[in-house]
Amino acid sequence: MIALPGLNLGAQAPEPLNVPTTSATRTQELSANTEYRFEVSFARSLAIKLVTGTAEYFGTELAPATTYNFSGAKGAVFTWHGCKLEIGGEAESEYVAEETQMMSAANAHFALEALRERAHQTRDAGPRVLVVGPENAGKTSLVKTLTAYAVKSGQQPMVVNLDPRQGMLSVPGSFTAAAFSSILDIEEGWGSSPISGPSPTPVKMPLVYHYGLRDAEEGTVFRPLVTRMALAVTSRLEEDPASKSAGFIIDTPGAVAQGRAGVYENIEHIISEFSVTTILVLGSERLYSDLSRKYSNSADAIAVVRLDKSGGCVDRSDAYMKALRHAQIRAYFFGNSEAGLAPHSQSAGFDELSIFRVKEGSDMQFNDGGDAYGGAAEDTIYERVTPSSEIVNKLLAITTAAPTDGHASIRDASVRGYLYVAEVDEGKKRVKLLAPQPGQVPSTAVVCGRWPEDVASLVG
Amino acid sequence: MSSISDEVAADFKDALQDLKVNSRPEISNLTLIAKENTEHAQAISTVLENHIRTARPEWRLPSLYVLDSIVKNIGTPYTVYLGRGLYKTFMEAYSKVDQPTRKAMEGLLRTWKQPVPESMDSRPVFPLEMTSDIENALNKMRSVQAQMQSQRQVHALPARPVIAAAWRNTPTPPQNGAQFVAPVDPRARQFPGQQFGQLPQPTPTPDQFSQPMGSVDLNELKEEVGKLIATTQQAFALNFSDPSLQQKLNALLQLKKMLDTQTLPPQQLEAVRNQIRALAPPPAPTPVQMPAFIPPPIVHTPQQPPTPTFQPPATAAPVNLAQMLANFQSPPAVMNPSPAPAPAAPNLADLIARMTTPQSSTPNPAPFYPSPFPGPSGSTPVPAHPIPASAPAPAATPVPAPPTNLAQLLASFNKPSAAAAAAPTPPPFNPALPPQIPNLSQLLAQAQPAGAAPPPPNNASWLLNALSGLPNAGTPSNPTPLGSEPMTRQSSAPVNVHNDVELTTASMKQPRPHLISRLYDAKPNICTTCGRRFDATSQGREKKARHMDWHFKMKDPDAAKRGVHRSWYFTEREWIEYREVDETAPEDTTNGPSGAAGRVKKQAKDRYVLVPQDVTLAHAPCPICQENFEPQWSKDANDFVWMDAVKVGGKIYHATCWEEYSKGAGIATPSTPDSVLGKRTAETGTPASGKKLRAF
Repeated sequence: MIALPGLNLGAQAPEPLNVPTTSATRTQELSANTEYRFEVSFARSLAIKLVTGTAEYFGTELAPATTYNFSGAKGAVFTWHGCKLEIGGEAESEYVAEETQMMSAANAHFALEALRERAHQTRDAGPRVLVVGPENAGKTSLVKTLTAYAVKSGQQPMVVNLDPRQGMLSVPGSFTAAAFSSILDIEEGWGSSPISGPSPTPVKMPLVYHYGLRDAEEGTVFRPLVTRMALAVTSRLEEDPASKSAGFIIDTPGAVAQGRAGVYENIEHIISEFSVTTILVLGSERLYSDLSRKYSNSADAIAVVRLDKSGGCVDRSDAYMKALRHAQIRAYFFGNSEAGLAPHSQSAGFDELSIFRVKEGSDMQFNDGGDAYGGAAEDTIYERVTPSSEIVNKLLAITTAAPTDGHASIRDASVRGYLYVAEVDEGKKRVKLLAPQPGQVPSTAVVCGRWPEDVASLVG
Repeated sequence: MSSISDEVAADFKDALQDLKVNSRPEISNLTLIAKENTEHAQAISTVLENHIRTARPEWRLPSLYVLDSIVKNIGTPYTVYLGRGLYKTFMEAYSKVDQPTRKAMEGLLRTWKQPVPESMDSRPVFPLEMTSDIENALNKMRSVQAQMQSQRQVHALPARPVIAAAWRNTPTPPQNGAQFVAPVDPRARQFPGQQFGQLPQPTPTPDQFSQPMGSVDLNELKEEVGKLIATTQQAFALNFSDPSLQQKLNALLQLKKMLDTQTLPPQQLEAVRNQIRALAPPPAPTPVQMPAFIPPPIVHTPQQPPTPTFQPPATAAPVNLAQMLANFQSPPAVMNPSPAPAPAAPNLADLIARMTTPQSSTPNPAPFYPSPFPGPSGSTPVPAHPIPASAPAPAATPVPAPPTNLAQLLASFNKPSAAAAAAPTPPPFNPALPPQIPNLSQLLAQAQPAGAAPPPPNNASWLLNALSGLPNAGTPSNPTPLGSEPMTRQSSAPVNVHNDVELTTASMKQPRPHLISRLYDAKPNICTTCGRRFDATSQGREKKARHMDWHFKMKDPDAAKRGVHRSWYFTEREWIEYREVDETAPEDTTNGPSGAAGRVKKQAKDRYVLVPQDVTLAHAPCPICQENFEPQWSKDANDFVWMDAVKVGGKIYHATCWEEYSKGAGIATPSTPDSVLGKRTAETGTPASGKKLRAF
């Protein structure tokens, strides 16, 4: 169980949803075009059931008469036609908002849909969308809504997550890409990567790279990984007609939107690597004006569109984000309340593991290094570490690269899964690991990141 | 969170208190603060309202300018928060300030009825509903003042102004002489009855004052008609193929012309206004308002000779307006559309969306569409009639076919009602005739000789029906009655809705409610387990059946026992080559030829076992050919499996190897599809279900 100071999660976590809700259910009527916004802490659960009408949660429609349980969520149930909800449990805050940005999101969707239809006819590539904006502007919510609408319209959009602060279908600190052909999981946000048993919502197949740092600005890994991801996504698109016409949507960290003196190197890098055709700027007028000045009039005209930040966007405190990340890591190993998973505890000798870690301060050396593939840079991305108490409570990414491969290969290798370091016995030279499934200790290179932060007592 | 709100609010309050003159920099500074703290909008709005209500009268105008600046420059969420108390805030301030300030406030109010200058959003600053409440109150205030000054009675009907004047002379006025200190919110108030103070309290019954308000009303009415025309034009621009909209627009344009050129008796103005109000979209749910688009105006002068498509006989529903007004004065709270805008006038936007898709099989939206829509109109092939059938007071309807659209209403205003009662079902509105709405000019021409009224069969419920029926003008007047339309058109219609959304910042802000039907009504068949929607076609039903099968398979009670765990992610290569599988897609039939030999082969090849948990087994090769098994993802099992594999006696063989071996040895091949697969299957036989049946 995750112990989080101040959140009292340890006591609540075992079966928070099986505890009968003491508070009686209440009915909430929503008139058309309004939304019910709520915040639920991780220790509580809020049950929402659609009684009549239609309602959606970030674009994904609520099934009638199905109860959805939310925990550790800040969300909104929106209705186009009006609805009646049955709500049980406690919310930290809840209110009904009449002014929403859903019309903008729907308009954005229909604009993209027109492009997809055209792409489908001409067998061309569909819209390649980049969503940028400051922290807590609702980027991920917008990406989710656009994805959900596209899926609903029978498309198969690809979603690329480049925000290490929260994971998509994987743990935080990873970059993922996945094609969505099936409905998004309302309770889990996106859905689940494959598990060895049945899953209530169809599983999604992510391609995962390990980033392992907190910010895009840190280190030399961000841009090469973006390049690698773009390569894989583009290859997939070329071979997969359904994905090709649907295009993709890229979610970014808020940090890239800061830029230096109107220059957004990371955004520019993403745009050029992914051949972005549409930029959706959320909230920030300055970013919008900077980007539209640069891209709107360029030869390969990129549509730069500004969308208003929703009034429902709330600042997510560091404590909340941390709890969210821990919940994601926990879900990776243990699953969610509906489908519990059984991870495997195992122990390995020091010599069985080849652990690499991003060198501290490597960013200083290569900040202006231009070509990140430069031969000299490669050998100095990582340092090999022997297990020590430093890596306890950290995640290790199992890459597909051999320990003898060059550092660039390790960096560019996709991830098969994650290990959690539960204990390091330096005397016996053994490491106690938590693996998602039984099997031998991987012989490939494993990368230890500085991000996400330590997850204390995931085991035991 | 709330403490931050309090802090922000306190700062804002301090800044407000320093605002004593109309100073632009100070006001824009306050606006900026408000803009940067939209998350604390509620707190800021409360502070601002309180300040306007409590500050010294001479400082109120600057604060009102702050309010004005905030709602115009920021908009939501402030319009919502400030809009709620706008009536109270405005009227309290208005009642306290001097005459020049009042003039300035009236100026403000006028701008609130219009869209923000240079804004893309064509909606007014505040919903018209709010501003018109204030305006009504101001009008009454003025009229009463005028009466008090001249000390004469303008009209004898309502005796209340007299009482007001009488109170004016009493040394101790009644309790509610406290004027606007605590006015009742127009949406919450009760009919005030006899409790009138010197200044009239705002009441929802402007009808009572129709005489003195006549001239004001006319302007207001013209404005409202103008707005409605604009709205309709926009809707028309979006959906120009809809003849009903065109007709509605036509009727409105003529009404405007009539208002401009003729002097109508006040009662008729009243009725027209009620009609217009009912037609106008309620402001709260996004009205359809686009940047102006001017379609070629089709203007008929009222004098124009009637186009002789058909002649509405004089037997059409007659109205005695005087009688009608007298009747509906008794239950005024019911009659006035403004206190209950939602049920009386459904959102026009919704309407347009609905028009293309009548509810067909949307699960249960009924409670949210209080307007008497005829439901899935298949049951009611006569479009003119469903409205009274479901109108609020159908029992009281003496006329079986009340006017269902504006043209008819207008027609009935002045129609010589001689033969009225004789014809309960007026033939002119026979739905079989293609043009549902008779040429308005024709009607208006007829309307002129308003005759003396014989005992009319009408009462308040007639108007009620007309009111509730009117917003539907588009539906029944559709040249091809919806009732006779096949379902297919209804389900496919939304897909054909023109999607012209451009990728520009401005375009994102335009409300396009008609497109939403693509997400909902276009696929009316919803999975009650997960909310996925399917087409109403037979293909859609097949897909849904397979989808439900999938749900069934996923309900595996043994899953927990098997120890479910997270699978490894794909490698790059696997991911690039992977193709998403849709659980609703028919089973893949492309593998292998369909000949008999091929089928056997395919059958064997399709066998699989889950990748075993047992380590020794997991690494064991096929005992026959000694080749290793390749794990693959199977959507059927929702797990990694070894394809072409069969488990016999604790060992795993290649199914094909085993088949060859067993054929020779004469051993039956066991069934392999795992326990994950359930028994339920789609009615339509897919290759998959056939395979399962043939397994033995």
